[in-house]
Amino acid sequence: MLTKNNLWKAVMLLIILATACAPAATPTPAPVPVKEVTRVVEVTREVPVERKIKAGFIYVGPIGDYGWTHAHEQGRLYVEDKFPWLETVYAEAVPEADVERFLDRFIVEEKCDVVFTTSFGFMDGTVAAAQKYPDKIFFHCSGFKRTPNLGTYMADFYQLYYLNGLMAGALTKTGKIGYVAAHPIPEVVRHINAFTLGVREVNPKATVDVRWLFAWYDPAKAREAAEALIAAGADVLAFTEDSPTVLQVGQEYTQKGQPVYTFSHYSPMEKFGPDSCVSGQLVDWGIIYEDILAKVYLGLYTNKNLENVDYWWLIREGAAKLGGAFEHSINPKFEDALKAVKVTEPLLGELSVYDLVMKRIEQMKDPAMLFDPFTGPIKDQAGVERVKAGQRLSLGELTTIDWFVEGNVGTIPR
Amino acid sequence: MWDFILLVLRAAIPAGTPLLFGTLGEVTAERSGVLNLGVEGMMIVGAVTAFGVTQSTGNIWLGVAAAALVGGILALVHAFASITLRVNQVVSGLALTMLGLGLSGLVGKRYIGMPPRTRFAPLAVPGLSDLPIIGPLFFRYDPLVYLAIALVPVLWFILYKTRWGITLRSVGESPATADALGVNVFRVRYLAVFFGGLMAGVGGAYLSVVYTTAWIEGMTAGAGWIVIALTIFAMWDPVRALLGAYLFGGVRVLQYRLQPLGISPNLLNMLPFIFTILVLLVSAGEAMRKRIGAPEALMQPYMREER
Repeated sequence: MLTKNNLWKAVMLLIILATACAPAATPTPAPVPVKEVTRVVEVTREVPVERKIKAGFIYVGPIGDYGWTHAHEQGRLYVEDKFPWLETVYAEAVPEADVERFLDRFIVEEKCDVVFTTSFGFMDGTVAAAQKYPDKIFFHCSGFKRTPNLGTYMADFYQLYYLNGLMAGALTKTGKIGYVAAHPIPEVVRHINAFTLGVREVNPKATVDVRWLFAWYDPAKAREAAEALIAAGADVLAFTEDSPTVLQVGQEYTQKGQPVYTFSHYSPMEKFGPDSCVSGQLVDWGIIYEDILAKVYLGLYTNKNLENVDYWWLIREGAAKLGGAFEHSINPKFEDALKAVKVTEPLLGELSVYDLVMKRIEQMKDPAMLFDPFTGPIKDQAGVERVKAGQRLSLGELTTIDWFVEGNVGTIPR
Repeated sequence: MWDFILLVLRAAIPAGTPLLFGTLGEVTAERSGVLNLGVEGMMIVGAVTAFGVTQSTGNIWLGVAAAALVGGILALVHAFASITLRVNQVVSGLALTMLGLGLSGLVGKRYIGMPPRTRFAPLAVPGLSDLPIIGPLFFRYDPLVYLAIALVPVLWFILYKTRWGITLRSVGESPATADALGVNVFRVRYLAVFFGGLMAGVGGAYLSVVYTTAWIEGMTAGAGWIVIALTIFAMWDPVRALLGAYLFGGVRVLQYRLQPLGISPNLLNMLPFIFTILVLLVSAGEAMRKRIGAPEALMQPYMREER
């Protein structure tokens, strides 16, 4: 039975219901808003408009070293400029033993999504951090340890050193070539070997005298080693050290009337020795960082699938470039001299060293990698055949190489 | 063999020159009783200043003068802290080194990768530079090498043969006595430390505008610390500083010339420090300390009316 009180309540309820239903009774056809809603949901899932990525970079040297760290810094600036959704932070001159502390800071305080560590010696610290922060993404440069959230990357120069070697072999008059080397590790040994293979391809009697600095960066030591090599008869110098000192020494001697030709390393150093620098090795880390960060942004790289992500970028990918300046791959002053020296290549016939260099670049740019410097037969210093005719050294062998090819003078300290 | 020795000597002199400048300055400062561990910092700021000024004016001498001045000003910071405020000299000097390394990196950003605008032509001493053997060995260097060599007898003469010298040494041996005799201990120490800064600045300038002709961050790479070791090795004497600087320069140069014989550069790298430790061992006794000339009041701040 409806009491008076209950009746009132029922009436009130009806009125409220009527008011609530009123907006729904608008003349707009129902399917349209539903469609719109679905589309919005789809869009949010595919392109995260509001999403930002923060990337941290940990460098081993000062960004002003004009070598390794400087080149990575150029890469960082390139991606930061390129991607509006990217924010970056960096720490320079980080001691190798200290990297974990910096990784903690970048993850916890700076809230980085991705951290790049750019020295071989940072490897174990980065692995530890990757395990400690499994939901973050890490990339380590020049190492070989990977986990689901830690990938590796490297732009290697051995092809460039080989090309430099071809030119060095053509230009030497004394048959003695000097190499100022940083540390006796596989990477440097690989580069010296590639250089010597190039030298001997053009000039089978020439030798490459190696002096070790035991430093990545020490301009004074580099000068002393370069002068020691010149005193021992070298008239062409290549090097692995992070300053333009060897080029400056070459320039001084060339100006004094005793030509010493040099090859720039890592950064565009030709301006430090315009009359001495023939060519050199240049790197573009920017395109590697671009590729990695774009894939992280698109969700292709996650904290679960990096176990097999290993960048080993060479001339083909554009990460390694021939030259002592970005404007030209060979200093125009030396073009004629290189065109004047002829060699006979089994497949290409007789051609100038200049043309041989260009041909080799083409072959190495080919997706099928038609040529590789480390193709047998290759003998070591003792004359023992280490690579059989027709075979190539594998990536694993290249990254662990610990023997000198025939033609090198000096030993690898152990 | 003879050629080899000549070439090593020829290279050792420029390699030792920045060390010689720094050591002459540090000898003077320590003779007045103030240890300045900021040499590395003053040298590197000198290096960046010299490079910057040389690039903008095109005149190396202006660059070197500016480096000397800036080195001197930095040294005054240490002087104020350690002489006036009497803080621990080791701490103040170390702070100066860190300050210098940081400051030079900051200021030097714009000079990275800049080729030098000008450089010293080797100064061949007329008549003498054409002599066989001796000519190329002694008379074909850049002007700063000769300046460093010329400073050695001048400083030696001032230290041992003039009133200024005896005043300086007495302040380093017994400041209270000197004070009683009417010497202004503070002024002498300030001047000595300032001179040390001037010299360190020039040493740094040598590295950036003569030896490597580029600005590279951290380019002193420990030269300032070798200067500290060399000051002890030279037993606070300008002439022995000259010999020591060229000896250490020679050791550096030899590292790469002896490498083909299987002699590790690391071994040669240790030599300067081994020599220094030997000198320290020999000089550990009180009597010996006096004989080799360690300033008695080294590292002791002076306060008037004390004791």
